[in-house]
Amino acid sequence: MLLLQLLINGVQVGALYALIAVGFSLIFGSTRIFHFAHGSTFTIAAYVFYDLLSIAQWHWSLAVLASAAAAVLFGLALNRFVYVPIQKHEGSFFTVFVASFGVGIVVQNLCGMLFGRSFVAVSTPLSRSVEWLPGLYVSPLAGIAIVIALLFFFALQLFLMRTHTGMAMRALSENPELVRAYGLSPRRLSMMVFALGSLLVVPAALLSAAGSGLNPAIGHHVMLISLAATIVGGVGSLRGAACAGLLLGLAENLALAWFEPQWSEAITFIVLFLFILFRPSGFFGRVATS
Amino acid sequence: MLAYLLNLATLMCINAVLAITLNFIMGYAGIFSIAHAIFFGVGAYSAAWLALHASANIFLVIPLAMLVAGALSLVLALPALRVRGEYFVAASLGLQVLGVTVFSEWKSVTGGLGGMIGIPPAELFGHAVADPVQFLLLALCCLIPVLLLTSVLLRSSFGRNLKAIRDSESAAHACGKNVAVIKTLSVVISAMLAAVAGALYAFYMGFINVESFMLDTSVLLMAMVIIGGTGTLLGPLVGTVLLMLLPGVFSYMSFLPQTEIGSIQQIAYGLAMVLLMIYRPGGIVGSSSARPAKEKAA
Repeated sequence: MLLLQLLINGVQVGALYALIAVGFSLIFGSTRIFHFAHGSTFTIAAYVFYDLLSIAQWHWSLAVLASAAAAVLFGLALNRFVYVPIQKHEGSFFTVFVASFGVGIVVQNLCGMLFGRSFVAVSTPLSRSVEWLPGLYVSPLAGIAIVIALLFFFALQLFLMRTHTGMAMRALSENPELVRAYGLSPRRLSMMVFALGSLLVVPAALLSAAGSGLNPAIGHHVMLISLAATIVGGVGSLRGAACAGLLLGLAENLALAWFEPQWSEAITFIVLFLFILFRPSGFFGRVATS
Repeated sequence: MLAYLLNLATLMCINAVLAITLNFIMGYAGIFSIAHAIFFGVGAYSAAWLALHASANIFLVIPLAMLVAGALSLVLALPALRVRGEYFVAASLGLQVLGVTVFSEWKSVTGGLGGMIGIPPAELFGHAVADPVQFLLLALCCLIPVLLLTSVLLRSSFGRNLKAIRDSESAAHACGKNVAVIKTLSVVISAMLAAVAGALYAFYMGFINVESFMLDTSVLLMAMVIIGGTGTLLGPLVGTVLLMLLPGVFSYMSFLPQTEIGSIQQIAYGLAMVLLMIYRPGGIVGSSSARPAKEKAA
């Protein structure tokens, strides 16, 4: 029963990780921007939701919309005011990474100052666990997380495969020069990629706020997970990132059956470390940079 | 006031050693490690363990701490040989998280979250260095050789090989350089020298726990190097002095809410990182030397 419980928890967490990782992977794969501040987008979306729903007492649908808007705006602003200027004079990966990391630090501390450093959670009737079988507790949120994750993947897949913009986004990851030659603007496409990638993190942020709760340092954890999932799944492969996110969520939870909870993050990174050493291209990756 | 200044100066020396050694691999070998705090920690824990269980003689403790860190750094060298750029950053991040877990969970050796307490003062020729002034001198006596050693190494053919690898690994390989050995050596040297800082820190504080060796420390060290100027000799020193002065400066500004000083300080250096990357990717020292900081896209 313990194993089944851990399995269900693992799938719930994994579905959220998959959503986060796909957003990061989309941005990183198409624009080659190492968007370390993706975790900050998550933090901002989650705190806006928490603040509007629990403190300002807005209706939940308005709070969802506001938090999605905040995430998209943050992603766009970051692209416009930080990444674009950097790429104008120097596109080196490390410069972008450091700037992004700096943004992460600023957002984490601002959230800490505004909302306090302790754990907060949005309490809804949905987050209460129900005993399904003797000893097996499942909250409705688990089901919602899985359904929403599947829904978003399906929509994303449809968008990327069927629409012009989606195809152009995929082309951007292949060859930005050629995209320009076809009369499309890589800059406008990157903007849309950022908007879309940031939007993908919103459901995960809201569900975490309602489920396990959040604190300002959560952005770090989110970032580590999406980074790990992107690499384990293979850079540039959204399917890989989603599978790897699910895998990491499962590994983290199933490991609880044998190890103490303090080790869960370490286990994620042992998986990542082994992948980098033995299969840097991930499950579905195309080329490994070496 | 004097005690405060002495404390600040000693911690500056320790952090300067760390920043210099990090710059050694980051600025010259192109290995962007965010696991530097782990080697600092390994040095500190081995020194503390030796001082508690064997002897506090620094001529015994420091070399042994260096050996342990050097051996462990091979774990970092392994991914460094296989992957570059974002992959290596991810691997070193993994190592950092793993290291922190080991520090806080290997209770029989590291004392768990509570850390190790009651570390005896360093012993030098049978004389215990407990006085802050003497300790500052000791720290300086460690900083200066580290500074000299790294600058000599960087001016030698070894340093030129490192730069060659940073700029183009395949070109260096084609010129008959043994890329694997050079990279591994640079990681080992950097980790060993970082362990010196760790040992000093353990002796100076008399108490260590995992809090000092978290990701935040690695990031702070990275910020020191970057703000000062990556790949310059003076850069890490300038960065260290600036970032270490920051908390002091903020606590003198009485209009700031005292409870938020820590956050404000972090926001300041986060912002500094972002703005520097946008306007002056070469860092403070890097830009003044009018060296064109153009790199092609990775």
